[in-house]
Amino acid sequence: MKICIVIPAYNEESVIRDVVDDIKETFSSTKYFCEVVVVNDQSTDNTAENANNATVINHLINQGAGGATSTGLRYAELGKANWVITLDGDGQHKASDALSCLEQAIKVNADLLIGSRLLSKEGMSKVKVLGNRGLTLITYLLFGINVTDSQSGLRIFSQKAIDVLEWKSTGYDFCSEMLWRAKKANLNIAEYPIQAIYTDYSRSKGQSNWNAVNIVKSLVRRRIVEMFE
Amino acid sequence: MRYALLLLLTAPIVLMALLNIFTQYKIKRISKPRFFHQLILWLLISTLLVASFPVYNLLNGKPLLDSNALSLLDILQTTAIVYLVYIINNFRRKIEQNERTIRDLHQEVSINLSSRNGKG
Repeated sequence: MKICIVIPAYNEESVIRDVVDDIKETFSSTKYFCEVVVVNDQSTDNTAENANNATVINHLINQGAGGATSTGLRYAELGKANWVITLDGDGQHKASDALSCLEQAIKVNADLLIGSRLLSKEGMSKVKVLGNRGLTLITYLLFGINVTDSQSGLRIFSQKAIDVLEWKSTGYDFCSEMLWRAKKANLNIAEYPIQAIYTDYSRSKGQSNWNAVNIVKSLVRRRIVEMFE
Repeated sequence: MRYALLLLLTAPIVLMALLNIFTQYKIKRISKPRFFHQLILWLLISTLLVASFPVYNLLNGKPLLDSNALSLLDILQTTAIVYLVYIINNFRRKIEQNERTIRDLHQEVSINLSSRNGKG
């Protein structure tokens, strides 16, 4: 079974090597054939050089998290991967959680499994919890999708999801849009609790709650525009 | 009544604009001078909207403020606005399509170049 692990990365030179090593070490003892792909989203630092222990796709222009994830999925599709795991490049996700999520996705036959940080929100600041809950509520109100953590970067995609899913957003708003597309495509969406590791670094890299306003605006616009298409 | 309606209709737009510039400033998408420029502009527009009723009362009965039923010119203008909305909507769609094409092209080029460099 071929697994493609996609890490969208923007200026993650200080942690990317450890993130890749952690994944490789965890998956080396499993039955899965695993390829780690770092999508370097036009970083201005040495992310690409430091990620040379993985396959690196260098974006020619900065696309945002949605664009980088989309490129990773496209690469996996071309490589005929059976499953794709996406996780953040800032080291907030444990490789062991990624493996557990994959096994859960296989077990419940999920097409899209979200690793939810809010089912066990240990370590997450109240502000982040509030921001995530807010965006999850907006996602529910706009798209009718009931998940606990719509913004989680740890996701598992089945081959069906890789083939079917496409989104237009290139920024962080892709998280909610992707769930919407998955729902529209009748994909089986599931969740599994994970524990995010919050270090000073990952806190500094996370999106600000102010950015949530931009995400909401973009989602509302997307929802309205699509009503006429 | 008409002015209350005017305020009712324009208030959400002004509030959205204000929220937008605050957000853009907070996430450092716009500079401080640009922020103040936008803020003053929208506060000026708000003041003009709120002040429109007393100004109307002040100037009511003056020849310039007399209003009749829609003239042909008004109808033409309204039609032109609707048409412009239509054109803008079409352009928006075309822009979105082009955006999508460029994104796909960028994706394929990035993957191919990475493969060619022996990293993919």
